[in-house]
Amino acid sequence: MLKNSLYRFYVKKVAFALFLLFIVLGNNSLRAQSLTVGQIDVDETALYAMTKQMSQFFSRFNNEEDQFGKKTWPSNPAYRNQEIRKERLPLLFDQQNPRTTGTLRDFFIDDLTKSDSSFLKFTGGRWYSEVSATFIFKGKEVQVILILMIEKENLGSKWVLTNIYFPTFSKMFPVTKMSDREKSFLHPMSHELDFMNIYKAFKEPEVIEYYASKAFKADYLSLFFYEVKLGNMKFKNVDKLKFHIFQIENWYFEVSYFNRSGNNSGWLISNLMYAPENEKENLLMFYQP
Amino acid sequence: MRKIQIILALMIGLFTTVNVQAQDDISPERKQAIDSLALEKVRDLSKYVSIIGSKNTAWSEANRVIDRAEELFMQGAEMGVSTLAKPEVDYYKVRQYFERLMRLNYDRVEIEWFKIEYVSDLQRQPDGTYVGVITIFQKFKGYDKEGGLVYEDTTKKDITVYVKRKETQIGGRIIGFWDVLLGDMRVKETSK
Amino acid sequence: MQMTISMHQLRRLGLLFLVVLITLGGTTSCKSKKKLAREQAAAEYAAKIDRATKDLTAILNDETSWTLDEKETRLATIKSWNLQDENVLALIDQVDDKLSRERAEASRMAEEERLRAEEEARRASEAAKYGSIESQFMAIAGAPDVDAANERIARTISLFASPDAPVLIIISQAGGFNDYDRPTTIGKYLDYLKDQKVYSNTIEQVKYDSNGKITELELIKK
Repeated sequence: MLKNSLYRFYVKKVAFALFLLFIVLGNNSLRAQSLTVGQIDVDETALYAMTKQMSQFFSRFNNEEDQFGKKTWPSNPAYRNQEIRKERLPLLFDQQNPRTTGTLRDFFIDDLTKSDSSFLKFTGGRWYSEVSATFIFKGKEVQVILILMIEKENLGSKWVLTNIYFPTFSKMFPVTKMSDREKSFLHPMSHELDFMNIYKAFKEPEVIEYYASKAFKADYLSLFFYEVKLGNMKFKNVDKLKFHIFQIENWYFEVSYFNRSGNNSGWLISNLMYAPENEKENLLMFYQP
Repeated sequence: MRKIQIILALMIGLFTTVNVQAQDDISPERKQAIDSLALEKVRDLSKYVSIIGSKNTAWSEANRVIDRAEELFMQGAEMGVSTLAKPEVDYYKVRQYFERLMRLNYDRVEIEWFKIEYVSDLQRQPDGTYVGVITIFQKFKGYDKEGGLVYEDTTKKDITVYVKRKETQIGGRIIGFWDVLLGDMRVKETSK
Repeated sequence: MQMTISMHQLRRLGLLFLVVLITLGGTTSCKSKKKLAREQAAAEYAAKIDRATKDLTAILNDETSWTLDEKETRLATIKSWNLQDENVLALIDQVDDKLSRERAEASRMAEEERLRAEEEARRASEAAKYGSIESQFMAIAGAPDVDAANERIARTISLFASPDAPVLIIISQAGGFNDYDRPTTIGKYLDYLKDQKVYSNTIEQVKYDSNGKITELELIKK
């Protein structure tokens, strides 16, 4: 059993190397293109292998471009070809992560290449940016996570904020047990006494939300905007960026940027999870409340 | 598994989908011509950068070329530069970036481009203008008086490209053209 | 005495017999000659009809390898035979019709060919004219240094009515119309050639003023 997996490991490595050799050999055909003076004459294999943009990630995921990054058109038999896709998809995964190089990945690729509706669409929704940024909040440097999504408007689209995650805010509205809330409530006849007992609610500001309807959910984005408007929350810089993709039926995956040498760099799948559609709705509630 | 738990712990609100309309009303051949045009502007920029950065370029010529390079960009376009040593982004206005390039303290400078260029799909913004990103890689080398290599880096440059259909009158007739302007440029040092 | 016919009588009989024979025989060959001649003429006529029918049908069905000229000659020949056969007359009409149409078509094509050759000649002469402008562009792009380039720019600019003469560059003709790059001026364009060191367009059209100076230039990407 060990020999089998070792064998598979080496076969994959050889296949990968052959694929890259193909790129290098094919690279010569592009020499004639450039016009600028000062062209480097080095092996650009690693740069071609790099998934340089999210746009390229989508393109490669759908097999809508060749190994040199040139777009293929629907009239070309290679366009969205599932056979070729099966070969190329493994290259979109982080090869240094066991979660994205094992059998789960293979199931995923299998699922993708069997279905005609497994192609990513930029304007198809259900994919989000997670921006990790540094802000100055009331004089102190803090980390805030911003969630954005693409929204259609007029003739095109734009990125919009859908949610934020800031521990300071979340701590204000902790998840509590029923037993904690049992002591804090306004009894059903409170109205007959002109709500004279309501002052008690405000004596416990840290649990004031207990006095809200059970449908109450804190809107962190509004809180964030409020602090920004007051000047308490000032932007400093963007630290990290990654993407969460829920578009593929029954699957979720995360895409991150790997700035490293070698032939497995750029935007790659950094996490993968089997997520049946009904379970997904729960996950999505954070990204699009 | 922990990740799901964290995400589930942050659940709030209801879920709604937003459908986004597909754009493209330009034929593949015309799109290709527009992509080539955008790529050409980026190559033009690369050439201008070479000229500006070269110590052999006379000051007056360098300034003239800075003007031409600036014309490639939209008003307000900025460069966002980060390095491996300093990952926070420093912002420069286009003109500022070029002037800085001209005043670099090396005796000799070599700026070269890798052949690879990647052009993204063009997406439309709300006003109908097409936006795309072109990625190129540049190698920069700075030498001292003795010819020793004192600085070297390889950067990935992601350049925003705006494409808009416009019309003008030339010689009494209406000419329809594609106005291509460069926008913000992100300069990020790549791992060695 | 009654028993023997005399030799003399025999000879006279023979002679008579001979005369009768000759007379009769002479009458029979005369009659055959005329008959033969008539028969021959009839056969010839029939053969002509047959021939004409075959040829005309072949021409109608385009089963011959004759040129238009040869077909017209053949038709003329058949007409000269003055055949009165109804079928043949009908065929003659049809072939006449067909050949005149073909003749008209041939004339039209000859005219088109002539016009095309003229157009080609005009383009070639223009290319020669454009060629000199293009080589000046290439000289600017290939200049060894800034001073040489500026010199060449000054020379080229003199061909134009002003440095602000518009330059239009076609980037695509897909869709049956021209897609252009942002219009520029010749002054800027020549500086561009100097900076980029490449000339990768071809001249599509040149407009001149009454002084022979260029007022507008249209280029197309190679």
